[in-house]
Amino acid sequence: MIQLTVNGQPVEVEAGSTILDAVRKAGFNVPTLCYHPKLVPYGSCRLCLVEVEGARTLQPSCVVPATNGQVVHTDTDKTKSAREFILSMIFSERNHFCMYCQDTDGDCVLQQAAYDEGMTHWPITPAYKPFMVDASHPDFILDNNRCILCRRCVRACTELVGNATLGFEERGSGSILIADNNVPLGESTCISCGNCEQFCPTGALIDRRSAYMGRETDLTYVNSVCMDCSLGCERVVKTRDNRLVRIDGNLDLGSNESLLCYDGRYKPVADNRKRITSPMVRRNDQLEPIGWDEALTAISVQLKAHASNEISAHISPRQPIEALSAFHEFFADHFNAEQVTLLGHDQTALTSAKLANEIGAFESDLSALKDCDIAIVLGTDLVKDHQVAGYFLKRQAMNDLKMFIANSTRTSIGDWSSNKLEYVGTDYAAVVDLLQSYAQAEDPDLPAKLQNLGFKPERAERILGQLKESQKPVIVIGKEFAKAENLPAFHKLVQLAREIGAKVVTLKGKGNNFAGALLGYKLDAQPMSTPVFYLALGDGHACDHTRDALAGSEFKIVQASYASEFTEIADVVLPCTIWAEQEGHYLTSEGKLGLNQQAIQAADGNLPVLDVMKSLANKSGLALSEAWRAAVEEKVAAIVLS
Amino acid sequence: MTKPKVASDWLAGCAGCHMSFLDMDERIIELTKLVDLRSTPITDLKEPDESGVDVGILEGGITNTYNEEVAIKMRERCKILVALGDCAVFGGVPAMRNFPGAEEALKRAYIETESTDESGMIPNDPELSTPVHVRPVSDVVKVDVFLPGCAPSADAIFYVLAELAQGRMPNVDGEFNDWH
Repeated sequence: MIQLTVNGQPVEVEAGSTILDAVRKAGFNVPTLCYHPKLVPYGSCRLCLVEVEGARTLQPSCVVPATNGQVVHTDTDKTKSAREFILSMIFSERNHFCMYCQDTDGDCVLQQAAYDEGMTHWPITPAYKPFMVDASHPDFILDNNRCILCRRCVRACTELVGNATLGFEERGSGSILIADNNVPLGESTCISCGNCEQFCPTGALIDRRSAYMGRETDLTYVNSVCMDCSLGCERVVKTRDNRLVRIDGNLDLGSNESLLCYDGRYKPVADNRKRITSPMVRRNDQLEPIGWDEALTAISVQLKAHASNEISAHISPRQPIEALSAFHEFFADHFNAEQVTLLGHDQTALTSAKLANEIGAFESDLSALKDCDIAIVLGTDLVKDHQVAGYFLKRQAMNDLKMFIANSTRTSIGDWSSNKLEYVGTDYAAVVDLLQSYAQAEDPDLPAKLQNLGFKPERAERILGQLKESQKPVIVIGKEFAKAENLPAFHKLVQLAREIGAKVVTLKGKGNNFAGALLGYKLDAQPMSTPVFYLALGDGHACDHTRDALAGSEFKIVQASYASEFTEIADVVLPCTIWAEQEGHYLTSEGKLGLNQQAIQAADGNLPVLDVMKSLANKSGLALSEAWRAAVEEKVAAIVLS
Repeated sequence: MTKPKVASDWLAGCAGCHMSFLDMDERIIELTKLVDLRSTPITDLKEPDESGVDVGILEGGITNTYNEEVAIKMRERCKILVALGDCAVFGGVPAMRNFPGAEEALKRAYIETESTDESGMIPNDPELSTPVHVRPVSDVVKVDVFLPGCAPSADAIFYVLAELAQGRMPNVDGEFNDWH
């Protein structure tokens, strides 16, 4: 521990802390602009200057290490006048007129810093030099005129997302923020994750949809867990007057370190599909609005009139556990329906659960991905799916991370590493066999195995040669590898992982796929046409196969938020709440329960799947138990290492 | 004790700051008990007394030679000068003109607008003032009190005037320091 004094108050901080850490621990504040708790300190803005006794000049507290015996002052005439001078210079450099900026009052760190210093005007007249505005991106606008050159965006893009799209051109006060080699953002390598925009302290990067829709202080915040893929990224949903305004990563919660991808941040707000507003029933080949009770009675009559093997029910993994549990209980337990499946048909969670049942818990949490020296990625492309998990590998790939990738098609994550060995194909048994050879002492068959998979021995040696000695190996399992038929290979792989001390992370499809597997849903069956077909699509999509199965069924019930090719052919359509209009839990790939809080009120007539299940159960004289938590938690503990 | 004299005027602004001044509602009666309101753009008397006033208030930025004259006259005739609102304090919305320059802005406004025909021309009557680089009031004359805001709230304006009327320099801070 290091002991020092801040403003006369003794404080103790851990070795490696900065003066800023000590100042804040001592209960004082120093304004910052370029500093962000999630980024490596950078020290470019100089606003955090403090006086350190014995030092020749003022010291930037965010980058200077705290040392024993330091005597620090944060609020002297010298620091105050330095801060005011720095702010005056920043305000004079570009267009920092607050009155026509979208980022004001609580949104803008620069404005707040000026308020904190008690500035009522700018002592230096602005230069009025125009800088480049890039409005080529569909989701956010880059306005260099509002930029203070703190480079938080560049650092978020590189350090956290590992995408390195953003950078700076020119020098000094003429520096401009650009994408790639100065191409329009909309045509650049940008993946539209928007993390730069969230990290921007001013109005230099602004979200097109939320701009001028209200200050942060006008918005209502609720915590939400993303249900797009199964990483369950924690986020904050911001609303105003019952409208979605924007979504940000949650700085305080979750394995996602406040990071989101396009699907978690922009896509839900951009969704402008046509909503279903009333229950409808098909009469004379036309869908006609009817009341809820009438619609539910019609369904109830059909369910009772058919044998269990004539009923099938299918639900989107975007639905919360509460809905999945009730749905399964209603259709599988009470009606003993022929098929009760989870859409998406991703078997990873099921295969993984089966394997854990045989050999005990083996899965690790996502932190394994954040610090590894070799990553073996099997059956998934982390640039396309589970993107935030991909960020964790991409950002390490810029350093020394070695990657071994196997997938049926070439992956994009491979493009991020020059230290990689990539196999394109589906012979996962041979892949695991090869890994085993490298993990063992000597294998005389190694050359044959390499040739079989099409690898050059030198390159394979360079990537996999260290597998045995690797300190932090991680194995990432995706959908393609975790199919039921690969169970023996999966089994061998986990044993191998245990031998070499590798952590195994399995990524389990969309939304609540993991919970679905634990609740007993069939994940390995495609929907079949049945006399009664219940499709709880919610706000999700389904594949063509599901559409064909629906089309081939006789009595088609579709519970959906949006009009689609599914609702068009349905006999009964039930309007469903969207993710933001309902509350519920999600089980992430790593077995953590996340809560998606309700952000907005649904319009009259829209009901959650859970409510509809309760009403239908009521009509059949049944009661649903609603108890799922204990069983789910117990099953997770048998799969994921604690 | 005689009441301190207060005069106000507007330069390149939208009059919004003066509207916000009126937005103090019945407190204006309270204020008139504290101060002697002299010339304002919304009263009959248009120029500050030659004999001088105690407090001068200017709304709006400096965009032309006429604004400069008004600002200088107000400065000469008042003891304490208040820059009222974002335009007077920073240059504000009119200062957007500085990015393309006055000539470009006038061309766009008088010649290139979609509703202008071929006869469009920039007004050039010799009696008109000449556009200048847009500046805050403090770039032309010394300002004693800065009250930013677009517009500053009626509460902030009342606070500043009430303080000045009672011989104190106002401290524009907290909710009263709002740049928008």
